[in-house]
Amino acid sequence: MYKKILSAVNEHLNSEISARYALELARVTSSRIYLCYIAEKNVSEKAFRQAEETVRRLFLRAEDMGLKVESIFDTGDPVTKIREIVKTEKIDIVFSATRREDVQKRFYAGTIARRLSLNLPCSVALVRVVHMGRIHPKKILVPLKAKLEHIDERAYFTSMFAEAFGSNIFLFHTTKPATKFFHGELHLTPVEWEEKLPEDISHFIEHLNRYKVTHEKRLVPGKTGRHITIEAAAKRFDLVIMGASERSLLRSIFKGNPVEEVLRETPCDLIILKARHENK
Amino acid sequence: MKINSLTKDEVFRSLVTSANGLTEEEAEKRLQESGFNEIKETRKTPLFLKFLGQFTHLLAILLWVGAILSFVSEYIHPGEGMLNLGIAVVGVIFINAVFTFFQEYRAEKALEALKKMLPFNVKVIRNSRELEVPSRDVVHGDILFLTEGDKVSADARIIEDTMLKVNNAPLTGESEPLLRSQEPFKGELLISPNIIFAGTTVTSGSGKAVVFATGMRTEFGRIAHLTSAVEAGLSPLQKEIIRATRLIAVIAAAVGIFFFTLGFLIGRSFWENFIFAIGITVALIPEGLLPTVTLALAMGSQRMAKRKALIKKLTSVETLGSVSVICTDKTGTITQNKMEVKNIWTSDNQKTTQNYLMLTAFLCNNARFIDQEYKGDPTETALLKYAREAVGSVTAERISEIPFDSDRKRMTTLYRIEQQSNRTVEQQNINCCSTALLGYCTNFVSFTKGALESVLPLCSHVLINGEKTAVDETTKETIRNANHTLMDKGLRVLAFAYKELRAESLELRTENSELEKDMVFLGLIGLEDPPRPEVPEAIKKCNAAGIKVIMITGDSSRTAVAIAREIGLVNGDPVLIEGPEFIKMSDVELREKLSMKEIIFSRMTPKHKMRVVSLLKEQGERVAVTGDGVNDAPALRKADIGISMGLSGTDVAKEASDMILLDDNFATIVNAVEEGRTVYENIKKFITYIFSSNIPEAVPYLAYILLNIPLPLTIMQILAVDLGTDMLPALALGAEKPTSAVMTQPPRKPNERLLNFQLMARAYLFLGPIEAAACMFGFFFVLYSGGWHWGEVLTVNNRLYMQATTACLTAIILTQIGNVFACRTHKESVFRAGIFGNRLMLWAILSEILLSIFIIYHPWGNRIFSTAPVGLSVWLVLIPFMLLVFFAEEFRKMFLRRV
Repeated sequence: MYKKILSAVNEHLNSEISARYALELARVTSSRIYLCYIAEKNVSEKAFRQAEETVRRLFLRAEDMGLKVESIFDTGDPVTKIREIVKTEKIDIVFSATRREDVQKRFYAGTIARRLSLNLPCSVALVRVVHMGRIHPKKILVPLKAKLEHIDERAYFTSMFAEAFGSNIFLFHTTKPATKFFHGELHLTPVEWEEKLPEDISHFIEHLNRYKVTHEKRLVPGKTGRHITIEAAAKRFDLVIMGASERSLLRSIFKGNPVEEVLRETPCDLIILKARHENK
Repeated sequence: MKINSLTKDEVFRSLVTSANGLTEEEAEKRLQESGFNEIKETRKTPLFLKFLGQFTHLLAILLWVGAILSFVSEYIHPGEGMLNLGIAVVGVIFINAVFTFFQEYRAEKALEALKKMLPFNVKVIRNSRELEVPSRDVVHGDILFLTEGDKVSADARIIEDTMLKVNNAPLTGESEPLLRSQEPFKGELLISPNIIFAGTTVTSGSGKAVVFATGMRTEFGRIAHLTSAVEAGLSPLQKEIIRATRLIAVIAAAVGIFFFTLGFLIGRSFWENFIFAIGITVALIPEGLLPTVTLALAMGSQRMAKRKALIKKLTSVETLGSVSVICTDKTGTITQNKMEVKNIWTSDNQKTTQNYLMLTAFLCNNARFIDQEYKGDPTETALLKYAREAVGSVTAERISEIPFDSDRKRMTTLYRIEQQSNRTVEQQNINCCSTALLGYCTNFVSFTKGALESVLPLCSHVLINGEKTAVDETTKETIRNANHTLMDKGLRVLAFAYKELRAESLELRTENSELEKDMVFLGLIGLEDPPRPEVPEAIKKCNAAGIKVIMITGDSSRTAVAIAREIGLVNGDPVLIEGPEFIKMSDVELREKLSMKEIIFSRMTPKHKMRVVSLLKEQGERVAVTGDGVNDAPALRKADIGISMGLSGTDVAKEASDMILLDDNFATIVNAVEEGRTVYENIKKFITYIFSSNIPEAVPYLAYILLNIPLPLTIMQILAVDLGTDMLPALALGAEKPTSAVMTQPPRKPNERLLNFQLMARAYLFLGPIEAAACMFGFFFVLYSGGWHWGEVLTVNNRLYMQATTACLTAIILTQIGNVFACRTHKESVFRAGIFGNRLMLWAILSEILLSIFIIYHPWGNRIFSTAPVGLSVWLVLIPFMLLVFFAEEFRKMFLRRV
């Protein structure tokens, strides 16, 4: 599925760590990796040099890993330039680190991460780096909602990460509590919840099985965003991989946005995947 | 791969830093990107929104509609008193909101307590210079400079160490200082000796470390995150009240709409129907219920405080009563945390070997005897006391120590031993023993104590009859059997060994492997932490009450089982799960084990508790859990009832809990459960009482709309009952004492409703109709006595009409007096329970009578409630109804008892 991976790099350490994830994905998928730094017009010389140094370090690392690697330096608007590169080089997926502004702004509106996720014609993996001590994630939490899009690609992406790091995968689904008007909230046991496993998640599991990825699953009722972060913290997950939000801005304002909540409060590194590859 | 497994250079590469630290500019940039190194609260619903929520639930909305209709009525028909009613209904909404909010409110200060554990300033190396910077400015890649007494501000990988020891108690609960080193470590990050964590303290030595996680990303931040984000959810009582109010709201609205429509069909005017609709709604809604529940819970919490259980959130009072599982610590809660030596064991049972053993117990020990007092950890203190009493004081110079470590499960000390003059005869043995130890070319000796499985593999010899004999498999088996025998007695067993070191080997004294190699096994000491005397009785009560008790302890399985047997916690073969096994188990496997009748978790650490609690809750259990450490906080939050220890608990645990045990005693939990169950029973009693009066309040409106008579009871008079005369007697029912039966029934099932058919039928179909008959009788008695004839219309200001409604009100008040006595028991005769057994009730009835006299005979009361004084004859004809309610209930109970 992935033949060409681009990792957007800048002068910040977050982007270097994000690129390390991209390198690992490139390794297991035998993809060509593009390390790309687009300098904005007002960038300082020092920042430029730091970014250049980062690309150099990553380049050497990629070579050490035996990857086919290219570096790209350019100036201009990062989103526009990356979009051009994606089109020209037929990139399959772009990795980009989220920045503090993504966490501070509601729905990370107007940030580079959001623009990349909306405007690129390929898949986008936004990486939020929060913990630099867990270098190779051994426990990956994969929150899934009831209706999934691009199941093939999401399962492939998850499986490749599991393979790259030899990780254990834990699927996690939170749903609205079962209620009745006069009874209020109904308590269902985990076995009863299992019976309510959404069809898309079953498909996702079938895909994982196809990639021979062992996994555990857990369904709990409650608030999605809050429960994901609690699960990640309580069981000391090293990485969370979740799908990008499909909610409109208006719906997010009224009903909240779990992706935004996890982005803000994740206790471990987080990858938000905006998948674009159609199901086969 | 984690940062603990990397070499120093790899760490620098990974974090893009160096031994010279970051530049100021780079640190500033990283701070901009990662944010401050501080503990933050997770986003939650603001308090004011929670308060506003009390105004928007179904019952409140119904009351808002009633209030708005009243204001509209006042506008259409001014002077009919509808404005007062509207204001009164709004008042009811506010009273209910305030009381419910107060019930659910709990000051959230756990995070404040956590924040206090982090330093304000720290020393870092930046641009090759040592600087002191605010702790919140520390970023990943910073080099921390650590010295004795420093609080650690962030999670960091050690890169230099000089006898660096840290106290990890906030994270692990173990207060023994741990030696740290810069060497790469392949195991888990959390137990890695080259990692220091935020919130911990450097107890000695110095070192440098590279920060890799700050703020909420640290292990300390993880605890803070869980403490802040985890919520137990609504309490059983809150859920029941939501269900009950929803049911009442629907009944009130349905009855209102039905009869409003019926009124139209039978030709009543819009205005009459309007009055009716509001009246029936107000009549069917028990306005005083929520304040009474809140006050009853508050009284319950006061009773619990007297029994040494401090409640922090009112709804917890009732939640305790519904608890079906108690997960409890052992040490200090079930036991007294007063260690004493009970048994010693040596291979030969000879005095010489025993003296060697005592010497080792004395010297491999960090407790102290100062000012005629033993000070230190309870286990160490017990060993020192026993050894000191056995062999007297020994003067020796401690050269070094390998501290106790929960992973190694042992500690070792290295001594230079000197002989002491002025010894007793008994002490001569030690002298001999020391001489024996010193009999070679050196007087340096290492002493080790720890768990047998940790010490025995270090031993190549065993001391038998003063001779060092090579350890073979048979000897090992004998030693292991002795260990098991002691553990089966419920003792905590420690093994002891020593090693003589030659002068040349002293150069290697800091090498653990040298000090702890080829040791001589001495023997075992069994220590007992006796159970608290009240615990067996408390466990018996739990068994009778169908409450499962799960022990979670750091001790070994055998010790845990022996104690559990001693206190009656287990009778058969319990399921035993040890910490390492627990970690490997999947949720499905663990869930299956948790469903077993008797289960004990041993060799556990507090961090595992939250998983146990979560799984039990998912199975539908209502869980109480005890905890005292910082890392207990998430489990305390997650449980239905988090119980912290008042004497030994940390501030964080206390703030995170729902209840604080002022005496750290398990028996107090059981007492609190008993109070909780009593509170629930009492709530049912006063709900029956309150709901009974809804029928005599509603029937006058039905009669008004169906029989075309003057309205027998005004809405303000309904409120006078619901928020006035009924309140104190209802509260008095909330103060009924526990009955003997309360702890002999299983916990109520989650699907058992507060408002069940039995309760509703008793209130609405039995007690209510008698009261309704009384009030209608009173109303007509006055009307007919005053010359009224059927069909005659009376104005609202007519004195006869006002006296008639007053008689109706008086009837409700009087029959409610009979009712309050009747509601004291469900089945048992009140005479048997003691008719004047609740003194508070007598005061409440007296207050009720005084309040009714004010309403009926005082001009202010008359003005507010549109009442008029009635004669003695009215009271006399109504008193038999009061007795009727009481004796009818006695007959019903007698019938039930016989059936």
